[in-house]
Amino acid sequence: MGRRRIAALLLAWMAVAPVRAADALESFAVTEIAPGNFVHYGRIEERSPDNLGDQANIGFIVGGQCVAVIDPGGSLAVGRALRAAIRRITDKPVCWVIFTHVHPDHIFGAAAFREDKAVVVGHENLPRSMAQRARPYLNALKRDLGDLAAGSEAIPPTRLVVDETVLDLGGRSIRLKAWPVAHTDNDVTVLDESTGTLWLGDLLFVDHTPVVDGKITGFIEVLDRLAALEVPLFVPGHGKTAVPWPQALAPERDYLALIVRETRAAIKRRKTIEEATDEVGLTERDKWVNFDDYHRRNVTTAYTELEWE
Amino acid sequence: MNPLFKGLLAGLLVLLPFGVAVANEKAEPDPAKSQYWPPIRQMMFGEREILDGKDVVRVYLSTRADDASTVPVAVKAQIDQTPGQYIKQVYLIVERNPSPAAGIFQFTPDSGRAQVETRLRFEDFSFVRAVAETNDGKLYMASRWVKAAGGCSAPGDKNRLPANLVGTMKFRFADDTVEAHKPALVQLMIRHPNESALASDFDESKTPQFVRQVKVTYAGKTVMSADVDFSISDNPSFRFYFVPEKEGELQAIVEDTHDKRYVHKEIIVEGVPLPGG
Repeated sequence: MGRRRIAALLLAWMAVAPVRAADALESFAVTEIAPGNFVHYGRIEERSPDNLGDQANIGFIVGGQCVAVIDPGGSLAVGRALRAAIRRITDKPVCWVIFTHVHPDHIFGAAAFREDKAVVVGHENLPRSMAQRARPYLNALKRDLGDLAAGSEAIPPTRLVVDETVLDLGGRSIRLKAWPVAHTDNDVTVLDESTGTLWLGDLLFVDHTPVVDGKITGFIEVLDRLAALEVPLFVPGHGKTAVPWPQALAPERDYLALIVRETRAAIKRRKTIEEATDEVGLTERDKWVNFDDYHRRNVTTAYTELEWE
Repeated sequence: MNPLFKGLLAGLLVLLPFGVAVANEKAEPDPAKSQYWPPIRQMMFGEREILDGKDVVRVYLSTRADDASTVPVAVKAQIDQTPGQYIKQVYLIVERNPSPAAGIFQFTPDSGRAQVETRLRFEDFSFVRAVAETNDGKLYMASRWVKAAGGCSAPGDKNRLPANLVGTMKFRFADDTVEAHKPALVQLMIRHPNESALASDFDESKTPQFVRQVKVTYAGKTVMSADVDFSISDNPSFRFYFVPEKEGELQAIVEDTHDKRYVHKEIIVEGVPLPGG
């Protein structure tokens, strides 16, 4: 492509960019899956100016006095769209913004709630992880969204969850639980006690390829603990399903267990990390969206964990 | 430690701006036009001529890295190691890393083959350069473009290592047994956080603890030694050749920036089953 052609395309892109920014979240919808529990289902897509980082399932719980946001989304624009959706439903203040974990598709919208003076809540390991990752995460956001990333920020939590914390929203309690290393080293779930709705963050992927950024054996252990709970309603971090609990966990658990089994076998057969990533888990390819974007990374993580066993 | 290398670390850390995302980098750029290469080249090699490396050294990586904190890389000689002609040194450089000289690996004719596989961290989309120096003092370069970002600032926060395990090592062999006089591939695995000087919670009053030097001998003769850096992933791994005799001791000596010294040794006997599976 010639330089002039690129310049022309760039100009054309710049002309439509503001319109696209507005369009991208025009149809931002929330669904009340249980009384007072509102979910926005993100798109299972790579981040782009078309989706502005609207990739994760995010939402909020409305109590008698306060609203708690569960993940403000992947950019300031998404956070603002979520805030606008809250304002259409209630004028109660947003008292809490809860991060289910450090990943950029869940955290970068937090600045939209600064004017509410909401307290930011996360796992006790989250400040460390966020401090280490904020800069490269923001660089990557700018690379993908350009000017549309403006105002997106990683805001560290000031209230930390150690084991369990209960937040009172006014006549409605939500129970936050900090899990051991699994999807990340800072996974938090939120249980709305009045409806039994469990917000899982990325401890549960539906359709979207599961991602291991913590410890694969720990991830499986946490899933087994979750499977033992009575859960009438739940919100995955990505995707949606009509399958009931705990069967809804099975595809992800099977995928992770297969990686562990095949990676261990590859190590035993003296395969290198590259050889393992070329051969492990490929029978799962058709079961997941975006398999090629995440699967090899999962095998890499699994290999570096399991080679020391 | 190689004094050149020490100077490089100090110099390049302040010299290079890092982390500035540029929107048009999704396409693969021209390795000859990289703006990051000339200052690194100048500092490491001055005015020395650098020849096209394709017949001497090649560098293997996936173009799109899956995990920026663990990117497997292989540098492979295209020539045999003979006493008359051999690769004595390979410089492995990640242009956009805060400390671009990831490692300088030294080989001898006793190495069998000049080849090393390791795992790298990437701070940003970058060219990787492998520059081989042959025993006649000539330099040959191979380059690869890699799309991976964020791996320097986010090291090893996944599985924190108990202090008593730091410095423990394993040899893992590519084959079930070795045969005398036939080059054998071995992986040296080192349990070590290899702390990055970039992690933002890093206390500036303390030196980050990372592996500085690795030396491997077989039967008392050096087969591979390396000056390395925090561009190497946590739990550093190095895979290389040595040439076994009927019996001999393989020994690894590792030193880190906290002046800790770790030693691991194993007797290798022809035909006797080796660890690795």
